[in-house]
Amino acid sequence: MDITEALQTAQDLLNQWTSGMNTPDLSRLDVLVAPKDLKPALRILQKAHWGYLSAITGIDHPPVPASPDGKQPAKEGSLEMLYHFCEGAAITTLRVSVPYTLPVIPSICEILPYATLYEREANELFGVTFRGAPNTDHFVLPDDWPDGIYPLRKSFTGFDKPQQSPTDRGLPSP
Amino acid sequence: MEAKVSPQKFIVPIGPQHPALKEPGHFEFTVEGEVITGATVRLGYVHRGIEKSTEDRNWTQNLYLLERICGICSHIHATAYALGVEALADVTAPPRAQAIRTLVCELERIHSHMLWLGVAAHEGGFDTLFMYSWRDRETVMDLLEGLSGNRVNYSVNVLGGVKIDVDEKQATAIRKGIDFLKERTEHYMKVVTTDETFLGRTRDVGTMTYDQADALAAVGPTARASGIARDIRADAPYAAYPQFPINVITEKGGDLAARFIVRINELYEAYRLIHEILDKMPTGELNTRVPRRIPENETISRVEAPRGELFYYLKSNGSEKPERVKVRTPSICNWATVMNFAIGLKLADMPMILAGIDPCFSCSDRMVIINRSNQSQVWSWEDLRQYGIKHYR
Repeated sequence: MDITEALQTAQDLLNQWTSGMNTPDLSRLDVLVAPKDLKPALRILQKAHWGYLSAITGIDHPPVPASPDGKQPAKEGSLEMLYHFCEGAAITTLRVSVPYTLPVIPSICEILPYATLYEREANELFGVTFRGAPNTDHFVLPDDWPDGIYPLRKSFTGFDKPQQSPTDRGLPSP
Repeated sequence: MEAKVSPQKFIVPIGPQHPALKEPGHFEFTVEGEVITGATVRLGYVHRGIEKSTEDRNWTQNLYLLERICGICSHIHATAYALGVEALADVTAPPRAQAIRTLVCELERIHSHMLWLGVAAHEGGFDTLFMYSWRDRETVMDLLEGLSGNRVNYSVNVLGGVKIDVDEKQATAIRKGIDFLKERTEHYMKVVTTDETFLGRTRDVGTMTYDQADALAAVGPTARASGIARDIRADAPYAAYPQFPINVITEKGGDLAARFIVRINELYEAYRLIHEILDKMPTGELNTRVPRRIPENETISRVEAPRGELFYYLKSNGSEKPERVKVRTPSICNWATVMNFAIGLKLADMPMILAGIDPCFSCSDRMVIINRSNQSQVWSWEDLRQYGIKHYR
């Protein structure tokens, strides 16, 4: 399958589950998907054997206050998860956006069990909850990382005071 | 992926600390007798927050930061990033720069595969092969040092090209070194395909079928040893691979032996490609100008690292600093595969199976066996290695 053909196939498959598509460059197809449509869309790709899930990228869109002249209304903060599927050189990205107020996306591990590592990472770094995920343990952050602090959100700029030393945490001194 | 805890089973936690050789990770294997029934992985012991740090540095500074993600495959990270930034800025590095990038990519692959060959042999108790392959690996390390001045973090790339050139004297040294390694590789191939003791530890061990590898989205030599012809150098050629195409190496076996054969055959392929690049090196400039501010856009850059597909997502916001840099390394994909196909295999095979995917941090030195009466016994990774060796004696 060449790139154009592969992307055309993906476009046809995902047509009914999307609210918008575009092709940012020759090898890519971006597909906007609502959280509730993510699993059906994935099942279709899987059934057609279109590519493999290469990565899940998280992006933070912090809230924007309304401009003083009132021309630009305030924008709510949101989190976007990009599910990148690759088939040869062709890449289809399913873009799922959720608001800060309800950052919940269905877990896709039921369909693609290997996605659990990506979901665990996105969960702790961005604070997105993957509903139905088989494992929500810490994956890359320390065990004593405070709850509710998501380091890859733009609002996180580090801790005010230094973290406890290993001795304070009850571990033997080096 | 889950280690279900039940009173009848033993859980074998391995890791995370290792003082010397490799990097730390922590695994828990649930075993019934000798057979593994569940496996989980926990990373983060060397988590440095590099993705976050990129948002505070400019596009040029990030090249040096990202090159330091991995000490073994540093050049491929810098290449993936540089190609991505060049795509965002809509510039293309000159052909000679692309050829030099590709040349260093293949030299790096040789050093990485030979390092792996030694580590994997050591885990199986074949220390002679370990010492030979690491001794011979010094040849390629010297070549890299001669080219760039460094043994690791060669810093060959700049945004828009490369900063080193290859002159005729260096080309001669590389050809000579490669020919020596080719001769040595014949020996490794002979050992891993004919030595009965060696085959006893690798043939039909840790087999991952084509369908399993496909369903678990394996990448790199791990996938190719199960018959999946997945290689970004051929699927989506980058740098100078369109001009210097590679032959994708696959094996059907799917077992550990196949993973050895695929990587050794990839060494031959790298030798061939290096000769070809040196013989047909394009002439011209080494770099082109890249603006400090990168226009708002996003791009995906995929390259074939020694361990498999390396994935970069870059998003720019029109400033001097990136909005978001996402890096997905091949080891993450391969961890997901090993945690799934480990189920049903023997604990004694785990050292070699873990080493067999060439994880970028296979390391683990502390192991505790917990039994149902909560008495625990502490093992080291060395104990587990010895256990595996004794099991096959």
